[in-house]
Amino acid sequence: MSFVIEASGLSKQYGRRWALRDCALAIPEGKVVGLVGPNGAGKTTLLHLAVGLLAPTSGSIRVLGASPADGPAQLGRVGFVAQDTPVYTRLSVGRHLRMGAWLNPNWDKETAEGRIEQLGLDPRQRAGTLSGGQRAQLALTLAIAKRPECLVLDEPVASLDPVARRDFLSSLMEIVAAQGISVVLSSHLVADLERVCDYLVVLVASKVQVAGEVSELLSSHHRLSGARRDAGSLPANQEVIEESHTDRQSTFLVRTSDPVHDPAWTVRPVTLDDLVIAYMSRPADPERTHRPQLKVTS
Amino acid sequence: MIRFTWLQFRVQAGVALAALAAFAAVLMVTGPHLASLYAGSAITGCRGGSCANAANTFLSRLTTTSPYPTVYELGIALVLIAPAITGIFWGAPLIAREFEAGTHRLAWTQSITRTQWLAVKLALTCLAAMAVTETLSLMLAWWADPISKAIGIGGPYPPGSVFGQVRLGSFIFATSGITPLGYAAFGFALGTATGTFIRRAVPAMAVTLAIFAAVQVAIPLWVRPHLIPPNRTVVSGPSFFQAASMSVGTLTATTVPGQTEALIVSSGAINASGQPVSTIPVACLSDSPVKANAPPDLGTCMASRGIREAITYQPASRYWPFQWLETGIFLALALALAGTCFWRLGRRRN
Repeated sequence: MSFVIEASGLSKQYGRRWALRDCALAIPEGKVVGLVGPNGAGKTTLLHLAVGLLAPTSGSIRVLGASPADGPAQLGRVGFVAQDTPVYTRLSVGRHLRMGAWLNPNWDKETAEGRIEQLGLDPRQRAGTLSGGQRAQLALTLAIAKRPECLVLDEPVASLDPVARRDFLSSLMEIVAAQGISVVLSSHLVADLERVCDYLVVLVASKVQVAGEVSELLSSHHRLSGARRDAGSLPANQEVIEESHTDRQSTFLVRTSDPVHDPAWTVRPVTLDDLVIAYMSRPADPERTHRPQLKVTS
Repeated sequence: MIRFTWLQFRVQAGVALAALAAFAAVLMVTGPHLASLYAGSAITGCRGGSCANAANTFLSRLTTTSPYPTVYELGIALVLIAPAITGIFWGAPLIAREFEAGTHRLAWTQSITRTQWLAVKLALTCLAAMAVTETLSLMLAWWADPISKAIGIGGPYPPGSVFGQVRLGSFIFATSGITPLGYAAFGFALGTATGTFIRRAVPAMAVTLAIFAAVQVAIPLWVRPHLIPPNRTVVSGPSFFQAASMSVGTLTATTVPGQTEALIVSSGAINASGQPVSTIPVACLSDSPVKANAPPDLGTCMASRGIREAITYQPASRYWPFQWLETGIFLALALALAGTCFWRLGRRRN
């Protein structure tokens, strides 16, 4: 299996602060991957390392099998939409497209111009006067028209209103459907990811808490509730992700690849939101978090 | 990348061209008349010793002829501040504004390496800054040609006026020849490098101005005089003290005999045994109480007591060696600062 992003021992230090420390992950190619985690988990640092804006302090990262930003060719293989979708406020939309054409040898002029027209943007309008949603669409257009093999987006919809957010994500879906490229998208809003992603990575404090196909994650996690009992009494094949207890009742969120047959439990499916929150609020377990690599299914 | 650099730079380039055009217009309007004043002066057709007087008279008249002193001062000021202006308004925001707006994340993820991005931006904008300053300097030199010629004939005159400066003096030296190229490159590279440290345009501009001003004060004061050790001469005889070649109050020389355009580094009277003399002997003062015994004039009196004038100076012939040395120093500083920019933008440091 080939990976869009593959990292091991990846660390980035700013002065004394570690923005990312000993991160290991492998994201398979050809998927729309949601990277989710609390603020400060290292999502932006990880993505900046992936697109070559940063070089790691230690460890290694490979994107599409090569070192990031290793020359113009590698830069051309990865499209990036940075957080807050920066554009040159004084340059017009049309000039942004010309910049893209000048700086990217594989530039797809028709796609770029077609998208701008489809979005109803005036090429003569200054980028500084665009709405947040329009600006994000312009940034996406620039990233796509360079014909990358993978697209990396850092919280592209975080600052957008619900309508702009929906439009942006459906644009993204159209692109994925049409071009079949790999996408890595970070967000702290699970609802956005649920709409577009088929693969999920939960990153907390530089560590991957869980990663896998969304459908598999949903089918392998269950919420069990029943008479109060201790987590230790659960079968070995059921990993407890989250537990809560009242005087008489216990509720567990467990991960298991086998069906749960115990009649003492009421078994309910989990939502992606439940699952992400359970993993994000999980106490850090040194033994678990130092496990170098997670299983990649499928 | 060249086209994109131009796209981002064209507004500033337009402003610079407009400023150059405005300055050119002022010079074109006044220049021909200045040349005709020179042509109509007594310098034309003068012979031998009368030429120096004619040149002095021409310059002396010019100091009261509007608008020439003003235009000359304005021109010198403009060439002096142009490197600071381009350093502040072109250099400092070049990278700082990218960081400020976050657009570096857009620029550095196009299919072009960061090194290439920076190299093109630095080279083109720096060349533009150098071209602007040097063009201003050349335009001023064209306009001031009659003034330079008159100074060449009769020396700088009148002392203390805008026309009373030698070519090696701070203002003329820094605004003529090739030094403007060095200052412009340095100012621009300084602004850009400052921007890579501060990463916010306005504070970077302020710091650039402060450093540039400090360097432009420090170099003429503490570095330039030591680049080539000055010559030393001792002048004796009554004629030196009689002529208007010294300031009587301080006993310092204002010109070096036979070297009209030399730059005086230091000067002072010394007695027969070589000790410095700080005051005129009482006996030589014209209203001396011992006037009865006084010699006929100050010069003869001083000379008769063995008092001579010691002068250290830079001859005018060193104008070009100094120009090359100083320009070389500033270009080397500019290169070092450009290297700093590449180092600061390395992927490890961001």
